[in-house]
Amino acid sequence: MKVFKAFEYRRGSTILHRIDPRSKLVYLILFASLTVYFTKPLALFIIFLSFLPMVYVGKISTRWKQSLRGSLFFIAFIFIFNFVPTAYYSGNLLDAAVSAIAMSLRFLNLISVFSIFFLTTSPEDLTQSMVQLKIPYDYALTFNMAMRFVPTLSREAQYIMDAQRSRGLEMEKGNFVSRIRNYIPILIPLIISSFRRAELVADAMESRAFGASKKRTSLHLLRMGRNDLLFVLAATGSALALFVLNVLL
Amino acid sequence: MISIEGVTYSYGDGINALDGIDLEVKNSELLAIVGENGAGKTTLVKHLNGLLKPQRGRVMVEGIDTKETTVATLAKKVGLVFQNPDHMLFAETVEKELSFALTNFGLPPEEIAKRVEWALIEFRLSNYRDRSPFTLSGGEKKRVSLASVLCYDPQIIVLDEPTTGQDSLQKTRLASTLTKLNRQGKTVVVVTHDIEFVADFIPRVVVMSRGKIIADGPTEEILVRKDVMEASSILPPQLAELSWKLGLESPSIKAEIIIEEIKQMLRGGQK
Repeated sequence: MKVFKAFEYRRGSTILHRIDPRSKLVYLILFASLTVYFTKPLALFIIFLSFLPMVYVGKISTRWKQSLRGSLFFIAFIFIFNFVPTAYYSGNLLDAAVSAIAMSLRFLNLISVFSIFFLTTSPEDLTQSMVQLKIPYDYALTFNMAMRFVPTLSREAQYIMDAQRSRGLEMEKGNFVSRIRNYIPILIPLIISSFRRAELVADAMESRAFGASKKRTSLHLLRMGRNDLLFVLAATGSALALFVLNVLL
Repeated sequence: MISIEGVTYSYGDGINALDGIDLEVKNSELLAIVGENGAGKTTLVKHLNGLLKPQRGRVMVEGIDTKETTVATLAKKVGLVFQNPDHMLFAETVEKELSFALTNFGLPPEEIAKRVEWALIEFRLSNYRDRSPFTLSGGEKKRVSLASVLCYDPQIIVLDEPTTGQDSLQKTRLASTLTKLNRQGKTVVVVTHDIEFVADFIPRVVVMSRGKIIADGPTEEILVRKDVMEASSILPPQLAELSWKLGLESPSIKAEIIIEEIKQMLRGGQK
């Protein structure tokens, strides 16, 4: 569940936190696309290295590391499920290893770039920037709330796990099928309480007159400054450089 | 027998949720742990069945160090019921909910049937046997969650806030179930905010504040100490408050004792 740390925003005041969400969105899209496009492990690894200064500048290394540690299981899963079939069909262990490593790195990069974005962008700013990008407010808010409830959900999952383990549930017991069945006592309470919470939130919002006026205005508008434009330029520049590097490698 | 020695635990936010806890609970004791929100009560009870392991110090349950065993093994000895029943209920019927733990511990079917029957009767849930736990009221769910742990007959029973959402009749019934189990030799630990419940039914009380134990002893002595009540932000029992206001020499939480003292004051001609 540690992987959810990737999305736990906390208020910060570093330069990265202050950059306009729309500029960071450009960065996110560019680097996520490069990660999906690249196939060479070395190129993917260079992208990974490029995240380190960002993490350092944004002072988010603790949660970033936690989210990577939390995703180790998935990475191992991805590695094995890429390595075994490829090795089996092609018979070339080296090729299989290279493509499995690339796949794992790709996942690692995606987690990192999304976590850099979400750890340094406040949910309010994100909603505001979506609204200013002409996305209807209802959708922007829905998205924002979904992100907002990720940590709540992960905490709740922890409570439920504690309760069921106290009743003798052993998550790691049995073969593959029974291990999946072990999740039923966790997932059912989690899903039901999420529905309940959704209803409560809807009631609370309506009690506060959500949707009463069709036309919304904002007190604070996001404005692109010099730093925000420079950030977009730097992101585009380094993305281009990486692209060229990938061709040369 | 539970012995907790110098236990410290932090969730990694720089604050010690438990800050050097020493506590000994003998077999077949009945005690309450009280304290303000965030005092560390729930963190402490999670140490009793190994859900949390002490970062410093050690927790011994029936002679076993909790660091050296699994939650599943300890859960057989220590039945822990959490505050929110919604975190444990998942089965199709109340009956299946009650047999969950019993099945996990691998009991034979006849034994499971017998224990489920006992729990249904003890917690007055027989009418709901085939109902889905999700259709029950808050108080009923709470009873299902208590029943689903007590049915496997753990030697040590730990209840986190068992009285929330229960009316006074259900509270009295809960108290009599706990007292009965306690007389049969079970150790019962109740974590609660419900100070009147403690005053009426529980002989020993441990008061926690900010990760420390600030008082521990017989309920009638601890709950009348103004300093302790204030330090832990507990609303004192009404009778204790009355004793303070009357300026009684030895404040009490028992009506009979207060009446007796008032009588003596009147006879002595004071005030």
